[in-house]
Amino acid sequence: MTIVGFVLMGLGIAFTVIGSVGMVRFHDVYSRLQASGVSDNAGLGLILLGAVLHGGWQAHDAPLLLLLVLILLTNPIVTHSIARSAFVQQHQEGDDT
Amino acid sequence: MQILELLLFLSLAPVLWLLWRGPTPWDRLLAYNSSSNRVVVAVCLIAVSTREPLLLDVAIGYAALSFLGVVIISRFLERGGGHR
Repeated sequence: MTIVGFVLMGLGIAFTVIGSVGMVRFHDVYSRLQASGVSDNAGLGLILLGAVLHGGWQAHDAPLLLLLVLILLTNPIVTHSIARSAFVQQHQEGDDT
Repeated sequence: MQILELLLFLSLAPVLWLLWRGPTPWDRLLAYNSSSNRVVVAVCLIAVSTREPLLLDVAIGYAALSFLGVVIISRFLERGGGHR
């Protein structure tokens, strides 16, 4: 179970690093939103799931699961809200570096 | 476990650079949200590795407050706040 937890945490770290590099490399607000919204959900969810599985089932795993549900619920809401805010203000694609 | 925390803090560096440079307010808002998510997960990893369950409550509170703050600032920018 420990090895499964470490593999999941390593996979999540890889997703997170790739997502943060992509957020810097892209040239547009909407592209950055796509890079952040997809890879952060996968990466941080995998890290938290690996941290739950790492030490078996213990007493402090309930707040970790609650935080996992909280992040998986709120991250798409935040991404959608920022994208709608940029779209309503008629921010055009590709006019910023 | 320590090397995972180190890599997570290392992945925080490009996001903070985007927060400093970002040309539009939405870039900075996105970078703020992403960096706060990374900090929350790093606090969780520290709490698991040092067996300190009190830090998890701090992480839950920080996640909820950062979600509320980002949504409120995004609504403020949607109605034309700031310099526009």
